[in-house]
Amino acid sequence: MDNLENEALSTQHSGGAVLECKDLSKSYGNMPALNHINFSIEPGRIVGLLGPNGSGKTTLIKLVNGLLTPSSGEVLVDGMAPGKQTRAEVSFLPDRTCLPTWMTATQLLDFYQDFYADFRRDAAEEMLEHLGINKKQTIKQMSKGTREKVQLIMVMSRSAKLYLLDEPIGGVDPATRDYILTTIITNYNPEAAVIISTHLISDVEKVLDEVIFINQGQMVLQSSVDQIREEKGMSVDALFREVFKC
Amino acid sequence: MNWQFNNDAPIYSQLIGQIKQGIVSGAFPAGERLPSVRDMATEAGVNPNTMQRALTELERDGLVFSQRTAGRFVTEDRTMIETAKRKLAETHIQSFLTAMSRLGYQKEEILTLVRQEATQGEE
Amino acid sequence: MLSKLLKHEFRATGRIMGPLYLVLLALSICANFSIRLLDSSDARFLNILGGLIMVLFVLCITAVCIMTLVLMINRFRTNLLGDEGYVMFTLPVSVHEQVWSKIIVSVVWFIATGVAVCLAALIAAFRVAYVGQIVEAIREVMAHITAYYAINGVGFLLEFIVLCFVGIASSCLQCYASMAVGHSFANHKTLLSVVFFFVFQFALQFLGLSGAFSFEGFNFGGPQAIHAFMLILIGLSAAVGAVFYIITTQMLKKRLNLE
Repeated sequence: MDNLENEALSTQHSGGAVLECKDLSKSYGNMPALNHINFSIEPGRIVGLLGPNGSGKTTLIKLVNGLLTPSSGEVLVDGMAPGKQTRAEVSFLPDRTCLPTWMTATQLLDFYQDFYADFRRDAAEEMLEHLGINKKQTIKQMSKGTREKVQLIMVMSRSAKLYLLDEPIGGVDPATRDYILTTIITNYNPEAAVIISTHLISDVEKVLDEVIFINQGQMVLQSSVDQIREEKGMSVDALFREVFKC
Repeated sequence: MNWQFNNDAPIYSQLIGQIKQGIVSGAFPAGERLPSVRDMATEAGVNPNTMQRALTELERDGLVFSQRTAGRFVTEDRTMIETAKRKLAETHIQSFLTAMSRLGYQKEEILTLVRQEATQGEE
Repeated sequence: MLSKLLKHEFRATGRIMGPLYLVLLALSICANFSIRLLDSSDARFLNILGGLIMVLFVLCITAVCIMTLVLMINRFRTNLLGDEGYVMFTLPVSVHEQVWSKIIVSVVWFIATGVAVCLAALIAAFRVAYVGQIVEAIREVMAHITAYYAINGVGFLLEFIVLCFVGIASSCLQCYASMAVGHSFANHKTLLSVVFFFVFQFALQFLGLSGAFSFEGFNFGGPQAIHAFMLILIGLSAAVGAVFYIITTQMLKKRLNLE
């Protein structure tokens, strides 16, 4: 992986954001959930989508996935509106475990291999083995923690262009948190962008390049982590506490 | 290596400090090959881009050098490592002296105290 | 991609329907013995056992039928509108492929259940002499149809089969459309799905009634009328199905509301 430098350089020059939101708004009935969001994310970046609960993080991620349609504005993944094409390039981890529980680990591997051309089955199998998961076991028989890990393994075993991870470390113990973050940074495709939505900032801060703060559907800030630390002399976590002081 | 980070400085500059420490202390011996960026990033639990940035900076200082295909190595220039060691020592002493003078000690008192502590440690 | 969806949909449903059909097959064989037993034996115990098996057999038939229906509804509800929807709707497939895979698999299972139940009944009642009789009876019915209506019996049968397919598909789509609409609301998703099912049912009946009145003016008669009638029925079913298909896909595309 020492050609990481070259890869990072080449992707920076190739231009073209992996994800672009232009004046993106979404409301549920009369309730606005996102208000004129504008940002773009370049390949090779790990970006934290940070905001308190109910700030619109999940809505934003659903819009990028095409699980919701924008009320106005547009969202572009690799230059395209979300659809069949972009889903082949986006690897999505929902904020809950939603794997079909009747499947065995092997059937789940078949499933991902059938639908995603970029699925690295050997990588997934290796990680499952490392966790000591019996491949004949059904998802139903696994503990909640194991299910979460299996789902993460499936998502990170793809060589996607954009990884969307919705609350990947919500409600897990510190050891699992480390496992999850390590799995993310060792497996993501270096030419891809990773978006991690969370409100547990101090835990993810070290792995982020950039952060986007959103609050009550508004974008508050987009900046690099080291820039915040350099200019403000405080961690992103501390800045977050200051910005979102109740 | 035991990687630790505090909250007020940029992560890449903390990484530079810790890798320097590693080189000076011999955890990364002179002339030896460094692990890949990704492995080092994983071990430290940081973003690979940040690790990359720290290593690039160290390369500029000359403490590490990269060979096109073989990877990245710690410098073989032992005097350079000695200089770096000396610099690190100086910063530690500086911050120690500032802390002590804040407590109200004069230079002579500090020296006496240090001598006392050091000899006690020997016994 | 549709073929892959179908593969996994059959995998998900087959693991339930397969064993059920096997149980049905086993019970129908037992039922066959029981019938002979009830006929020939006077032993009280054997009679009770035979009766019990017959009851089980009937229950099993009911269970298979109900399960086919429940599976059709549940696969759509949990796999697309429940948590699994997060996985399904982020696959690189279109909504159309999703809906088609569900329709095709459901229709196949309904037909399979129909065939399985007929077969089970045949097995239960099987005596070598029966086979000849049944074949004879079918031939006679066909001959009657051909003679009486002066129409092609085979043609009629084909029309009937097509009508079955289209009718089942269109009924499935009615369920899908009601669930797709019901689940687009924030609360009471299941209740609203049921309500919308009856709303659609009512709308259909209303349209059907007014449609029947408009047909009064026509003068039907003769063998052509039967064909025409069948074709109209097929056309109407297909049209109704198409409307529900559009409702379903549009709701899933524009108003998907996963929790």
